[in-house]
Amino acid sequence: MASTEGILRAGVRVAPRRGLPPWLLIAPTLLLLTVFFVVPYVNMVRMSLLVKPAIGAYEPEFTLANYARALLDPFHWRVMYRTFSLAGVTTALTLVVAYPVAYHLTYAPRRRQRWLLMLLISPLLVSLVVRGFAWMILLGRVGLVNLTVQRLTGHELVLIGTPAAIVIGLVHVYVPFMALAIAGALQNIPPELIQAARSLGASPWAAFRRVVWPLSLPGVQAGTLLVFVLAVSSYVIPILLGASNVLVMPMLIVQTLLDAFNWPLGSALSMVFFGLTAGVVAVYLRLLARGMPWTRA
Amino acid sequence: MSSITLRGLTKRFGAVAAVQNLNLEIQEGELVTLLGPSGCGKTTTLRLIAGLEVPDAGEVLFSGRPVTALPPERRNVGIVFQSYALFPHMTVWQNVAFGLEMRRESARLIRDRVGAILDRVQLRGLGDRYPHQLSGGQQQRVALARALVMNPAVLLLDEPLANLDARLREDMRFYIRQLQREVGITTVYVTHDQAEAMVLADRIAIMRDGRLQQIGPPEEIYRRPSSAWVAEFVGLSNFIPGRVAGRENGLLVVRTAAGTFTCAGQAEAGADVLICVRPEALRFDDTYPNRLRGTVRERVYLGNLVDYRVEAPGGLQLRVQADPSWAVAPGGTVNLSFDPSAAWAVDAREG
Repeated sequence: MASTEGILRAGVRVAPRRGLPPWLLIAPTLLLLTVFFVVPYVNMVRMSLLVKPAIGAYEPEFTLANYARALLDPFHWRVMYRTFSLAGVTTALTLVVAYPVAYHLTYAPRRRQRWLLMLLISPLLVSLVVRGFAWMILLGRVGLVNLTVQRLTGHELVLIGTPAAIVIGLVHVYVPFMALAIAGALQNIPPELIQAARSLGASPWAAFRRVVWPLSLPGVQAGTLLVFVLAVSSYVIPILLGASNVLVMPMLIVQTLLDAFNWPLGSALSMVFFGLTAGVVAVYLRLLARGMPWTRA
Repeated sequence: MSSITLRGLTKRFGAVAAVQNLNLEIQEGELVTLLGPSGCGKTTTLRLIAGLEVPDAGEVLFSGRPVTALPPERRNVGIVFQSYALFPHMTVWQNVAFGLEMRRESARLIRDRVGAILDRVQLRGLGDRYPHQLSGGQQQRVALARALVMNPAVLLLDEPLANLDARLREDMRFYIRQLQREVGITTVYVTHDQAEAMVLADRIAIMRDGRLQQIGPPEEIYRRPSSAWVAEFVGLSNFIPGRVAGRENGLLVVRTAAGTFTCAGQAEAGADVLICVRPEALRFDDTYPNRLRGTVRERVYLGNLVDYRVEAPGGLQLRVQADPSWAVAPGGTVNLSFDPSAAWAVDAREG
């Protein structure tokens, strides 16, 4: 142990001396983030505090009126609730779909692993918009899903324009991200742990429940977090599959900014939305950490 | 507690036979070490006993009862892995209690048994620690406790000391030996370290290329190796090539380039043999009837003894380990002799 640490520490000490100084290495990223992320964000915070005149974008005068409107209008809260519940359901379903995929990917023979990995990643090669259109066709009135259901049951099942369609589309898009995050954690579990559990009398299922599942939680955490944040802020899929029937926050914000041309209110809505998302994530992380006490000790 | 019988056990991985037609009988309460170089099939044998691998042929029996078809959770074996395989997300206490919980024992019994076994391995008070908060030796003892708390029929140890530093390894050898004697459990211990095998074993089973080479008590393995390969694997040995001339007083008479010697062993007259003589069996005097002269080429001081390379007639290079009070300088001519009963002839073709 001590020698490994020594090697690691020596490596850290040597690398910067030979290569470029660390600040130079991160400089391009830092510059990019500052120009395209920090500056616009600060500008947006400022914008959310400005007065919206009857004519024109904003006046250089500070007010909290935008926040009052963003927070007090029950319509905003309905959209907010819809957005978070859609993202929550999407995350949960993605987890349910992706976990077995990740599990299989981890424990499959090496040669099959490569094929599975390619299959898993291949949808990412197709544009999100194209995949959205594909689902529109499948889920529409004359789509495969409705025609099949109609023939079998006589009832109609037109999903397009419903929250269900959005969830289906989002789950489809996010399964690879979730599966890869979980597979990463599963691959870190030494097979001896499962064998040890089995030799101590655990059935395969008990070994999974008591050993594999808890040890995969860091991957589940990373995957669910990634998918939730992506789902909450998704825009293209809700527009295409919600068919303008289902309004979510990103759409509402874009409408406020562009259609209503109310930049201060749009900025305030963004800030509120951001704050709530961060809050949800923080609560989630805290709850999850309580389920992984060994990571804190 | 059980005896273990392995009957014609064979396991292949693709084209490679990891274990070939292995027959082995381990008595109740006995500690047998499987000793061999890496890749000799000793770990596979252990995993076959544990049920972690399924044999291609042959049978595993515990106390005469076949268990070959049983999954590991139904064999009642305790395993200690080289990596310890402690559950990192469980405390020491939870690790040790895991097996009893799987057996659905009562909370009261679990509390008593876990407490008692932690006392026994001197880990009382560390129950709330996580494995990563323990030293290597402590982790090792948790792994032992986790296996022993189940009162398993057999205890299987796979190179359990390989990840410890030299000093601790030495202590743990005796500790495991003592613990095994106290508990009286049938134990199979896999190692590639012959010193470890010597200290621990009631009997040592030597394996090579998936086959059993020899099984016997440590002294027998050392003094009466079945082949030159075994002699070399277990300690140092000199080999004097020769041909058997006949038998005399129960000893073999062997003609060699360095002279005619008598030694123990089984071989027909006319057979080509190698006489194994351990370096410490060669003495710088004429005490014994087997005598030869040689020239000292090299002398290395090792503290408790001195290591000589001696050139003998017929181009023989002999290694001699002697007491440091003997001081022979390189270049000097010396008389050597060895006890016929300390020399052992093995077949020259095997090996």
